Amino acid sequence: MRLLTHNLLSSHVRGVGPRGFPLRLQATEVRINPVEFNPDFIARMIPKVEWAALLEAADTLHLVEVPKEPIQGYEHNEEFLRKMHHVLLEVEVLEGTLQCPESGRLFPISRGIPNMLLSDEETET
Amino acid sequence: MAVVPGGPRSGPAAGAHFFCTAGRGLEPFLMREVRERLAATQVEYISGKVFFTTCSDLNMLKQLKSAERLFLLIKKQLPFPVSSVNKGKIFNELQRLINDDPESWLNAISIWKNLLELDAKKEKLSHKNANPLKRKVGEDDITAKKLKTEQIQEIQETKECQLEKQIEEKILEQGNFITEGEKFQEELQNDITEAVDTRNQSNLTFRVSCRCSGAIAKIITAQEVGRVIGIALMKQFGWKADLRNPNLEIFIHLSDVYSVLGIPVFRVPLACRPYIKTPGLRSTIAWAMASLAEIKAGAVVLDPMCGLGTILLEAAKEWPDVYYVGADVSDSQLSGAYDNLKAAGLKDKIELLKVSVIELPLPSESVDIIISDIPFGKKFKLGKDIKRTVQEMERVLRVGGTMVLLLSEDHHGHLKGGEASSGPLASRGGRTGDPGGEERVTGAEKAAVSEPAPSSSAASSQERLATVPPLGSLVPVDCHRVSLGKTDALISKYMKSSSPGR
Repeated sequence: MRLLTHNLLSSHVRGVGPRGFPLRLQATEVRINPVEFNPDFIARMIPKVEWAALLEAADTLHLVEVPKEPIQGYEHNEEFLRKMHHVLLEVEVLEGTLQCPESGRLFPISRGIPNMLLSDEETET
Repeated sequence: MAVVPGGPRSGPAAGAHFFCTAGRGLEPFLMREVRERLAATQVEYISGKVFFTTCSDLNMLKQLKSAERLFLLIKKQLPFPVSSVNKGKIFNELQRLINDDPESWLNAISIWKNLLELDAKKEKLSHKNANPLKRKVGEDDITAKKLKTEQIQEIQETKECQLEKQIEEKILEQGNFITEGEKFQEELQNDITEAVDTRNQSNLTFRVSCRCSGAIAKIITAQEVGRVIGIALMKQFGWKADLRNPNLEIFIHLSDVYSVLGIPVFRVPLACRPYIKTPGLRSTIAWAMASLAEIKAGAVVLDPMCGLGTILLEAAKEWPDVYYVGADVSDSQLSGAYDNLKAAGLKDKIELLKVSVIELPLPSESVDIIISDIPFGKKFKLGKDIKRTVQEMERVLRVGGTMVLLLSEDHHGHLKGGEASSGPLASRGGRTGDPGGEERVTGAEKAAVSEPAPSSSAASSQERLATVPPLGSLVPVDCHRVSLGKTDALISKYMKSSSPGR
């Protein structure tokens, strides 16, 4: 799971609603996975980013050099875009947990895939 | 016998005539595709085939995604009159396909050679940029396997035959042909060089593949057609028949609507993607769905029941600057999808989640596009109410966002406003559901009750409420009936018009 995905995920425990965001991230295994830099794509992702959630997640992973906020004219600022590219796409959490901030419920991340099922019933297929 | 138009150098400059076979219902997608991708002209279609003219080279032709196979057109004409049950007369007509019009044949052959020659040159050039052969062999392995099933189907469904003798031999031949799959690349190269070197027409080897359907199939067999055509070709042009490894394959389809003759341009069908390791949904359908979704750069695209990830793969290959998320509840499907993404080199573009479609861990209105093959049939059953599923997808879709679903006839009916009255629907659901499903339905109902109904704002008018479709804010904008082989399904496109009053 990359941090761009973490930034999108929200707890869906019943009754939690918007307070289910952001999920608290705990990582036991993180991999830095080089991804081809695509400035245009990253620039398009910036407006979608919830910064507080991103900074919190980056902090738990002890990432340095994470921009504190979007800067003016970031579309043409390669240094900024490269930093964002790294944080959002290259940092991959392989093992760990996501925790609902409201209910405290834990969701495991294993082999890079978060398991967000609320019940195990559906695994049958 | 002069080799006529085009000349060896000019290639298909004036435009060569091609046709593609396509799954039923995909013809409109293919017509649009050849126009947009190949700047094709004279685009027309009949059921299952699209005809067009283009100057594109093999590399561009290879890009076609909604086609099954690609053929260079030799000729196309109205069907033979089959009023009489006179075989001799039909044999005569078949011979005339060649004897009356050798120019069409020579013309097609010369264009075909030019295409291969051009490609061989480019191949040589690109080979200098070092292309590890290992990978190619692996890829061919896969395509060969796919080809096998494909061809076996073809044998069963149609009366395909090759030039000579009995069916047994034919199957054996095809079997051999396929097990030699790993050598495809080599063979193809040989083919090209041979074909290119063969200035002398008489060195050409060929075989005939034939399909008969409709009235004519009741009078003559595909084998007979193949034999007559084969003999006529040998007599007319001095070509030699070779079932195993011919330079040239001639494809004939005789039906009630037309007689079509062509040369398959690639051995492996276009629909067998080199980048898909294990296909789930048919690649052509997956691509058609993605193309209907009008994916723009920077979009967030979700397939909440991604299975082996075929839709996401097809989409990510064509529209790369997009953030794709695939979700599934099944570990085995997810691990299959993971392997597929890895093999395709698209792991960086697609994120996988273990998630239930009725409880998506995403904020409302956070996704730009949803594309999904809604499971149906024996193998996969959507245990829950289809409406509940669509409602959850609707929740996470942003206003103005697009949803493209592949629906069974049943599901499509359920989603239509017309028969939304819950009585008969519920009973129907009960009948089709397995014992376990019943429990789930009640679970889903409970959940629905505990939540405010999306249409509560319209509750003041009882009459209006009754006609509000279960789709809420989703407005149907497009629908295509497509064939999945044994069954039909509907590709339905919706647009989210406004946020439901919550």
